[in-house]
Amino acid sequence: MTEEKRFESAMDRVWKFFTSLKLAITIIIILASASIIGTIIEQNQPLEKYRQFYSDGTIRLFDALNLFDMYHSWWFLLLLVLFTVNLSCCTIDRLPRVVKVVRNPKTTLDGNLEKTLGHVDRWKKKGDLLKVAETYQAALGKAFSKPRLTENSGTFHLYAEKGVISRFGVYITHLSIIIIFIGAIVGNVLGFKGFANIVEGRSVQTIPTRGGTNHVDLGFSVRCNKFWVDFYPSGQPKEYASDLSIIENGREVLRKKIVVNDPLQYKGIWFYQSSYGPAGAASATIAVNSSEGGRLSTVSLSPGQKADIPAYGKISAVDYRENFQGLGPALLVVLEQPGKPHTEFWLLKAYPDFDRQRRDTRYLSFAGVDQIFFTGLQVAKDPGVNVVWVGCTLMVVGIIIAFFMSHQRLWIRLSRGSDGRVEVVLAGSANRNRLAFEKRFEKIQADIRAVEIG
Amino acid sequence: MLNVRLFDITTLLFGVASVNYVAALYGKKETWARIGTWICIAAAVVSTAALGVRWAESYKMGIGRIPVTNLYESLVFFAWSVNLFYLLVEWKYRTRAFGAFVIPIAFGTMLFAFTNESSIQPLVPALQSYWLHAHVITCFVGYAAFAVSAGVAVMFLMKAKREERKMTGGVVGVFPPTKVLDDLVYKAIIWGFPFLTAGIITGAAWANYAWGTYWSWDPKETWSLIVWLVYAAFLHARITRGWHGRRAAILSIVGFLATLFCYLGVNLVLSGLHSYGGA
Ligand code: HEM
Repeated sequence: MTEEKRFESAMDRVWKFFTSLKLAITIIIILASASIIGTIIEQNQPLEKYRQFYSDGTIRLFDALNLFDMYHSWWFLLLLVLFTVNLSCCTIDRLPRVVKVVRNPKTTLDGNLEKTLGHVDRWKKKGDLLKVAETYQAALGKAFSKPRLTENSGTFHLYAEKGVISRFGVYITHLSIIIIFIGAIVGNVLGFKGFANIVEGRSVQTIPTRGGTNHVDLGFSVRCNKFWVDFYPSGQPKEYASDLSIIENGREVLRKKIVVNDPLQYKGIWFYQSSYGPAGAASATIAVNSSEGGRLSTVSLSPGQKADIPAYGKISAVDYRENFQGLGPALLVVLEQPGKPHTEFWLLKAYPDFDRQRRDTRYLSFAGVDQIFFTGLQVAKDPGVNVVWVGCTLMVVGIIIAFFMSHQRLWIRLSRGSDGRVEVVLAGSANRNRLAFEKRFEKIQADIRAVEIG
Repeated sequence: MLNVRLFDITTLLFGVASVNYVAALYGKKETWARIGTWICIAAAVVSTAALGVRWAESYKMGIGRIPVTNLYESLVFFAWSVNLFYLLVEWKYRTRAFGAFVIPIAFGTMLFAFTNESSIQPLVPALQSYWLHAHVITCFVGYAAFAVSAGVAVMFLMKAKREERKMTGGVVGVFPPTKVLDDLVYKAIIWGFPFLTAGIITGAAWANYAWGTYWSWDPKETWSLIVWLVYAAFLHARITRGWHGRRAAILSIVGFLATLFCYLGVNLVLSGLHSYGGA
């Protein structure tokens, strides 16, 4: 063997290796098995968490194998690359052949082809050869699909086909996988994921990205105007919502109320309602009234804080009940007045005049508690996501084509027999779903046989 | 509640049908199997009514949602799909031998559902999404197809072993020929695979709408991918020489075991973002 030949045969073997279906099955099974690991070892947890479960030696070993972030490890990515190369080679190897077969179909039925076909029927018919051919051409067009008529040294051939696209279903499916990968890569390279907690009334412009210490400048700011949360009677949250404004160059350019599953989008950046929490302690509001009933002022009370009521005294809130003895929300306050002992009494929200019973120069009414919340938003920019959806759609379409359509072909050969009658051979094949094709073939066979030559 | 009573009746019907099919197989009495078929049809009617009633009852409670959103509901929906899928196969293939291998799966599922919380619970905000409904329905139709496939794969392996040893008769005698079984293992999967694919995609779409990430490698997602890969391996095994028959049947069974783990094991053994089980 010469150098060149040896090189070629080595290349051949490499090519064979990468186009082999056995390799594909092996890689798919390895990918599936490897994926299990990351579902057993919790991913991307802080070191302290792992220390609870594993010894230091085990942690070092797992870390060396990247098992704490395995789906982004070099070896998992390598598997995906190998998978993609395998898939691409298979396509390059086979697709041209399929295209060739589809573009140059065998339009004549010779003896060799006839032997390979599962469905063959033959009969004889009186009449002129060309006339029979043309009649059958029309009949086959009606019963199946418009056939091509060719003549070859006195023999006529009809060829008709349906569902050519079924040959490409597999390739559409395979291509869709690569499209999804491309979308994922675009999203990872050009996008970001972040998180923002915004207190009601405040706004943010830079966002810490998830997991990392980086910050992204949005180029505009987001303000949380208000946050709401509704509960079911059982205490589970029913819905939570944030009223958000986008502010760009000092102007509000967009305002939307977002809830879970209904995000806000501006300039390709999406804001998802994801969590919430109290921002600081709740405060209670108290109205101060003169004994005649005129409102003089309101004071806001935070826990542990004393508020001054001019010309009267100091007040603080010490307890709050959602429902005080069936009378609704109530606040327990302590009043300190110069030269008098401290007094402690309840204020009822539902009865603003309740405190008049103290018969003092002022009476107080409880207006309610205010809780300021922060809203927790996931922030994401993913320019690849639409590519991924295109891939996903193609995948479903490709699979349906591959599984539920079939390339069906029919041939008719017409030649002059020794007895002067026309010898007819009808044959057909389908690349899948043969049972259904068999029924169809029988129906067409009956239709064509029954045709009268006019 | 009425819907739960109806599901309890369904459980009972599946139990009786299973006994009938198994008895028919071992006692060689076609009549038993024929009764089994009628019981399965009754179970289909009762369970369909139960799903409808549950839906209506959720509206009456002011919750108003499709009954496929917690473990109990997904289990009964799975059993419902398995039964319908089975009846379709029985009718198309004109044999009742499969019943003994498939209907017990529906029965076992209903028994398991029976041990779970069956009241109608309101939905937390993350689960209030049409994508989620599409996700659950497509996934479970897929799972049902895989269940049928695995049941038939077991029959295939039993029959192939007998044939290898040139034995005839026995229970296996009434099974359809291995070629038919092999074909049915495959046919069930080509129905299941597109549904599972659509299920994973709608799940990704839901996650994207709720959190802004279509894929985050959480255990449930990853296991659904594992299941999908096993069936992808099956599909390619079918078209590779030497992987037909036995190995393909084994892959179908492995695929269904992975499906079961994805569905139940992940919540019982591992943790995740999903609402099923997770308690
Ligand atoms: C997990 C990803 C994959 C999916 C979902 C997938 C999907 C499919 C489907 C649905 C079929 C049609 C099967 C049938 O007709 O019964 C198919 C066939 C095929 N696949 Fe894949 N595939 C994947 C990966 C691969 C890879 C990595 C290769 C690389 C070699 C490959 C090579 C082939 C070949 C050669 C065929 C046969 C085409 C033919 O019938 O001529 N597939 N695939």
